[in-house]
Amino acid sequence: MSPMIRGLSCALLLGSAALGGCASQPSSEQALQQAGDDFQKVKEDSNVLRFAPKDVIRAGESLARADRLSSYWGSGSDVVHYAYLSQRYSAIAREHTEQGLNAERGTQLELERQRLQLALRENKLASVQQQGKWVEAQIASLTTQTDRGLVMTLGDVLFDTGEAELQNSASRTVLKIVQFLQLNPKRRVRIEGYTDNTGGEQENLKLSRDRAQSVADLLMDLGVDDKRIEVQGYGDQYPVEANASERGRAQNRRVEIVFSDEKGQLGAAR
Amino acid sequence: MIFRPLFAALAVVALAGCANDPAPNEQMRLTQQALEQANAVGVNADESPELKLAEEKFARAKSNMADQSYKRARMRAEQAELDARLAEAKVLTAKSQEQLNVLNTRITRLRKQLQLGDAQ
Repeated sequence: MSPMIRGLSCALLLGSAALGGCASQPSSEQALQQAGDDFQKVKEDSNVLRFAPKDVIRAGESLARADRLSSYWGSGSDVVHYAYLSQRYSAIAREHTEQGLNAERGTQLELERQRLQLALRENKLASVQQQGKWVEAQIASLTTQTDRGLVMTLGDVLFDTGEAELQNSASRTVLKIVQFLQLNPKRRVRIEGYTDNTGGEQENLKLSRDRAQSVADLLMDLGVDDKRIEVQGYGDQYPVEANASERGRAQNRRVEIVFSDEKGQLGAAR
Repeated sequence: MIFRPLFAALAVVALAGCANDPAPNEQMRLTQQALEQANAVGVNADESPELKLAEEKFARAKSNMADQSYKRARMRAEQAELDARLAEAKVLTAKSQEQLNVLNTRITRLRKQLQLGDAQ
């Protein structure tokens, strides 16, 4: 062997050893293939092109670089490196695309949510209005329009004879009044007590006032502001029936609730 | 005549050039930044294999810098940067998905309430 040939083969050996140092990864071809596949997929996806064009370009550039290097002998590690970078860019492109799509979906869902929320609000409002109408109808059926305004009469059955304590059966009617006052926050009431003509005048005045007051107390306990309530006792004045019969006297033992107009204006007391 | 093979060998080594790159300071800075950003959006190395890779590669890149094997340092830092960016992107995708789930839950609840309202 000539020294020259021996030297050359030695150089070759050295050279490939040096290259081998960098090219520790086994298959640059495989890496290139995978990176190419990944890039192909993102490149063909119109959403990816819409949301992550820069990532796609970088993936393409790195892939081209890997591809170019693969034609040089001994550049295996560089090929694998740039193929890796290309794959990473492709993966990042997919994530950015998913984020973009999610943002779009989120906008759509947010609109839908607002639409439903509005619908629900209207729904609730309608049901409150319906309830308000129902209470108003109830109040209307229990009241009569007089020159003093709307008047509701709580009959004598709500009180035991000579007692000012409201019976439980009054609660339902009183609750309706509370609801009505809650729905009509400007309206006020005057609660007027009346008795029949049995018993003394002073006694009757006190009893009528006490009965009116116990209705007022219940309204206040149920949350009606006391500033909206006036209390008045009339004793045996203003009978609605002759006191001659038991039936007539029963009609005269009563509490009347006078409602103000919508602005809170009460008719003058008797 | 005797020196020629030696030149050839040197040339091949130089071409392969593991040690002859300039120091990749800019790339090291970029990678550091990418790692910080990933941490800032709440990526956790225990839950993200990508971030774990990034941290390992960056640590090796730093020791390559110390050894002045700049090419290895640059390659590892480049890979670490993209690993970190992918980790960050994945977490942000998961977060956006989470927001969609919340919205969907709310919408389902609203629909249910509306149906109840209609039934009444």
